[in-house]
Amino acid sequence: MRLACDTGGTFTDLVVEDGDEIRLFKASTTPDDPVRGVLNSLALAAEHYGRDLGDFLGEAEMFIHGTTRAINAILTGNTARTAFLTTEGHPDVLVIREGGRIEPFNFTVPYPEPYVPRRLTFEIPERIEANGSIRKPLDEAAVIAIAEKLKLLKVEAVGVCLLWSIVNGEHEKRVGELLAKHLPGVPVTLSHLLNPTLREYRRASATVIDASLKPLMFQYLDSLTRRLREAGFAGRTLMVTSGGGIMDAEAVARMPIHSINSGPAMAPVAGRYYAARDFDGAAAIVADTGGTTYDVSLVRDGRIPWTRETWIGQRFRGHMTGFPSVDVKSIGAGGGSIAWVDEGGLLRVGPRSAGSTPGPVSYGKGGTEPTVTDCSLILGYIDPDFFLGGTMVLDRDAAAEALRTKVADKLGLSVEEAAAAIFALATEKMVGAIDEITVNQGIDPATAVLIGGGGAAGLNAVAVGRRLGCAGVLIPEAGSVLSAAGALMSDIASDYAQMLFTTSRRFAFDEVNAVLASLEARCRAFAEGPGAGALNVTIDFSVEARYAHQIWEIEVPMTSGRIETDADLEALQQAFHDTHQSIFEISDPGSDMEFVTWRAKVSCQLREGGTGQLPMPKSVSHELGRRQIYFSETGWTDAEVIRFESMPSGVPVAGPAIIESSFTTVVVDPGTNAVRSEGGGLRVTF
Amino acid sequence: MQSTPLDNQESTPGMARSGVRMAIISNRMESIARKMQNTLFRTARSGVLNTAHDFSCVILTADCQLLASAESLPIHTLIGPDLMCQAVRKYHPELKAGDCFLHNSPYEGDSHAADHCLIVPVVDDGGTVRFFVLAKAHQADCGNSKPTTYMGHASDVYEEGALIFSAAKIQSDYTDNQDLIRMCRTRIRVPEQWWGDYLATLGAVRIGERELLQLGEEIGWEALDDYAGAWFDYSEQKMIQAIKRLPSGEITVHSAHDPFPGVPEGIPVSVTVRIDAEEGRIRVDLRDNPDCQPCGLNLSEGCARTAAMIGIYNGLIDHGVPPNAGSFRRIEIDLRENCVVGIPRHPYSCSVATTNLADRVSTPVQRAIAEIAPGFGMAETGPIMPPAMGVISGRDPRTGEAFVNQIFLGITGGAGTPVTDGFLTIIHAGNAGLCRQDSIEVDELHHPLFVKERRLIPDTEGHGTMRGSPSMYAEFGPIEDCTMHVLYTADGTIHPALGACEGGAGGKSKAFKRERDGSLTSLPNCHGAVLDHGEFIVSHSAGGGGYGPAMRRDPERVLHDLREGWISPERAKDIYGVVITGSAETDTLAVDPVATQVLRETR
Repeated sequence: MRLACDTGGTFTDLVVEDGDEIRLFKASTTPDDPVRGVLNSLALAAEHYGRDLGDFLGEAEMFIHGTTRAINAILTGNTARTAFLTTEGHPDVLVIREGGRIEPFNFTVPYPEPYVPRRLTFEIPERIEANGSIRKPLDEAAVIAIAEKLKLLKVEAVGVCLLWSIVNGEHEKRVGELLAKHLPGVPVTLSHLLNPTLREYRRASATVIDASLKPLMFQYLDSLTRRLREAGFAGRTLMVTSGGGIMDAEAVARMPIHSINSGPAMAPVAGRYYAARDFDGAAAIVADTGGTTYDVSLVRDGRIPWTRETWIGQRFRGHMTGFPSVDVKSIGAGGGSIAWVDEGGLLRVGPRSAGSTPGPVSYGKGGTEPTVTDCSLILGYIDPDFFLGGTMVLDRDAAAEALRTKVADKLGLSVEEAAAAIFALATEKMVGAIDEITVNQGIDPATAVLIGGGGAAGLNAVAVGRRLGCAGVLIPEAGSVLSAAGALMSDIASDYAQMLFTTSRRFAFDEVNAVLASLEARCRAFAEGPGAGALNVTIDFSVEARYAHQIWEIEVPMTSGRIETDADLEALQQAFHDTHQSIFEISDPGSDMEFVTWRAKVSCQLREGGTGQLPMPKSVSHELGRRQIYFSETGWTDAEVIRFESMPSGVPVAGPAIIESSFTTVVVDPGTNAVRSEGGGLRVTF
Repeated sequence: MQSTPLDNQESTPGMARSGVRMAIISNRMESIARKMQNTLFRTARSGVLNTAHDFSCVILTADCQLLASAESLPIHTLIGPDLMCQAVRKYHPELKAGDCFLHNSPYEGDSHAADHCLIVPVVDDGGTVRFFVLAKAHQADCGNSKPTTYMGHASDVYEEGALIFSAAKIQSDYTDNQDLIRMCRTRIRVPEQWWGDYLATLGAVRIGERELLQLGEEIGWEALDDYAGAWFDYSEQKMIQAIKRLPSGEITVHSAHDPFPGVPEGIPVSVTVRIDAEEGRIRVDLRDNPDCQPCGLNLSEGCARTAAMIGIYNGLIDHGVPPNAGSFRRIEIDLRENCVVGIPRHPYSCSVATTNLADRVSTPVQRAIAEIAPGFGMAETGPIMPPAMGVISGRDPRTGEAFVNQIFLGITGGAGTPVTDGFLTIIHAGNAGLCRQDSIEVDELHHPLFVKERRLIPDTEGHGTMRGSPSMYAEFGPIEDCTMHVLYTADGTIHPALGACEGGAGGKSKAFKRERDGSLTSLPNCHGAVLDHGEFIVSHSAGGGGYGPAMRRDPERVLHDLREGWISPERAKDIYGVVITGSAETDTLAVDPVATQVLRETR
């Protein structure tokens, strides 16, 4: 038995995989002590199986955990007091960043503060050049003096990023040794070990973020593993990483930056599996609807998209992690997004969100601003008495009243028309976000399937998919807990990188192969350590390359782990042209190319296939009745309400209809058809 | 459960109802413009496009009014696209699907000759022009007499040397006119790069065309026309509301560009701004200024109008006003024929029209608004082009190959506003900070360059209640066995960015050569320096002006700047009147509120 648990902002999702069956549980997140929420979800599961918690946990081999703990600590400024050590002459790396700005006429947003303030930034007398040679030797006495200052300043963590440490890490290593000796007990992150990538700002940024999370994540993971053990769990605790893989909790505690995008990164992993199972491996647009954000990613040819330009917060306004991560685009359009009318009489949705506190008006927790969730209640899409399987009763009248005064009256619309308009606008924002990434990656939405994840996904997934002209929409049976389901499908994985600059014209065969050999050795060591006992081990090599005189590299997959002959080099060049063509729709076969950073990723597969199925409940009746729901095209219309879990596969349901489970509601628009696939997912086509 | 309809209120037609439809269509329009922009950014070959992001994509109505623009450099976007579409209409009364026009004439709407524009009329099935889409992209080379797109010293367009296209039809029936392609390939220095960038730009306009045709089919062309009208009205209303928040008033303020080759006395600029709050109108008069000058600094009409409007949109402090032809209705810009900041007369050169002198129009306008309407407007943004933004060239000893490239090693200049301190990396007023700053490692990898130092310079911020950005120091030179040329055209060495409402001026831009013995030699503001190994060039970017009196700056902000090393303890006390206790070494610096109040009262 394996357990996957994803702690989100509002809910803690648990998926129990027992053989070929899975079961879903949801508990409230407990922000003051998130481990309690985790234990609560486990208690729900144990109760469901009629077991004592200790017995239940005793059977589990594996507990896979995703958490927003690290990202929340960053967003709320609750990380460790961290110092930044940089090369002499360059104290402003974290201040200057890489430039860039959004909204040209918006001067109300101030320039972002550096992740580590200047007063905790120290210049190390030393300098290495681009070719790795030492221009100025490291002044060790100065480092020791700085360590003394850090002690005085009560610094709790240190990030070290020196220029060109990626070609010669000696100075950084020595600084690490000196700090270990003169500043014992304070965690240190060295940039060339954590994130050996070109561009000092993003490397430094990753380094200080990682350092700042170390005390906190060590404590959290220590508490989690200890309390799980105390509750009776004797298996292995793994963490979901930003890279869409899983790692032992102890390893993440040593490199906590791996956990900052741990939740959203799993959605495309799950999406890939469901698209393959239910839509013949079509390209998939994976959309995860949360309370405050709508996260979109793309899966094509079974490949999870990657980026090295991950931002915490808004682009150019937040902090770039510079750390390889699953490419997920987030916009502020979730169920909690607030609808309002501006002074010019224009309807707006977001960017403000009611979040989980106070939440939508209908939650009755003090919210006064009408949200998208309130609108779905007004339109009849959500049953106020069956929200989360009836565990929470919603106040439809309060929602309607708020919408009337805040929006409908100002626009001269009826309440339901206003609610439908808000839905249409939210849909449009989501479509815009998806459009942008499909264009960027050269995918035609008409050939893709939209996968709706998150509890609120089903409310307008069909509308979004239709507007995009998608081939279809898929709501997986575990869609409401997509990230947790993804965690069960992930491999134990790790990746390694090393920079070595060379060009196609003067390709440094020996040096490149030496780098590749060392990367491979590290992968093998991982496979024999944390990955031991895997069904299958794969090592994927890739290189970040670009045409001569270009600035931005793209990642090119390599077919083998060595470049021995001219033919191998030729093949690599061809692979680069092909990748460039597929991303940018052009290639330049006559041009030289430059290779910058070499990478290897090791994946140790734990399980065959994706995940188990939700069992069909025996006692639940198929049709729950009928209710009035509203669409702008039809007005109020009488629709069937069907229980998701009880739908047999292959029997189509024509819209308008509502398909409900304890965790989600799917609105089947007029003119569309829903059918349950063999695997158990809900396919909607139009 | 059985849902019941909530009410049966009859919906009211008219403006309110259009509020919903309008919101949805304007999201679509912005998406289309963004799609065009993404296409161009992702497929362009030259660094100026795929790194510096020096391009823009816009949608105009059939009668040439600016409707939607993705986030583009402001100096490209506001006025010019309309004038260029009018030129297309004038020379080609009959427009067909499949047409595409190449236009870069600064005498007919373009910003400067280096900005190549592709213009496509969006023609429906019935043959009616419904919209225009336009993509403007700064070329790496445009056929000038020297290998630069900024010919500051060119006495006229002939010496400038660019190929000038006036609504030249480069495609009919979606097929290239090979005559024009050959002209460009023969004249432009990096023909393959130009060709790649042309394809990228063409891709952008064709995607915009395809999307608009689809949208028209989906919701009907009449509905789209209605939308455009309603959207312009909405934008105009938003503009009126924004202007009504200001008091009425009129003021004339002065600015000046530093002396330059061809203009040894510099160029004084005078702007008169009149705000009529009751009417909801703003007027800027640029006519009382010198005639066109024998240099490349003259503004094109597009840049003159746009530069003044940037000052206005910056000064409103309300980014909810959509910058389009609707809000433009409330703005009047008075220009004069044959004026250095007006309508240029052929053959005067406008080679550098988007940056130096344009900023000398934008920044006094935003300062003038502040002087009329405290709480609005902005201080002056720092002028640009110090050596850290220069063009470096030479031969790379590592490969034996020649190199030439513009660097962005540290340019600041953000102006203080009524609500925020200067945005550090704004670069210059017309850019709004949208371009990037270079990574030292990338520059050192690409070029035989060594960056010794890069840091902010304390006490160079224009002081104020909201201060300007400080200057940035950058020192760099060639590696061994390399001789490097650094060409730059700095402004702001004599005339700094001025503060507004009693705010102080930003630090001046400066240039020095660091000799082998470590001594510094001052360099001219427009110069080509030659450096050997062991020699360095030192660049100070211009700081931004401050807004409001420094003595009213929140002491906590002063403390923050002091702790961060942006200002010295002396400046905290002397300029800001803040008394600080504690020590930096133990991180115990704090404001002494009582002593601060006493000190400030004595000033």
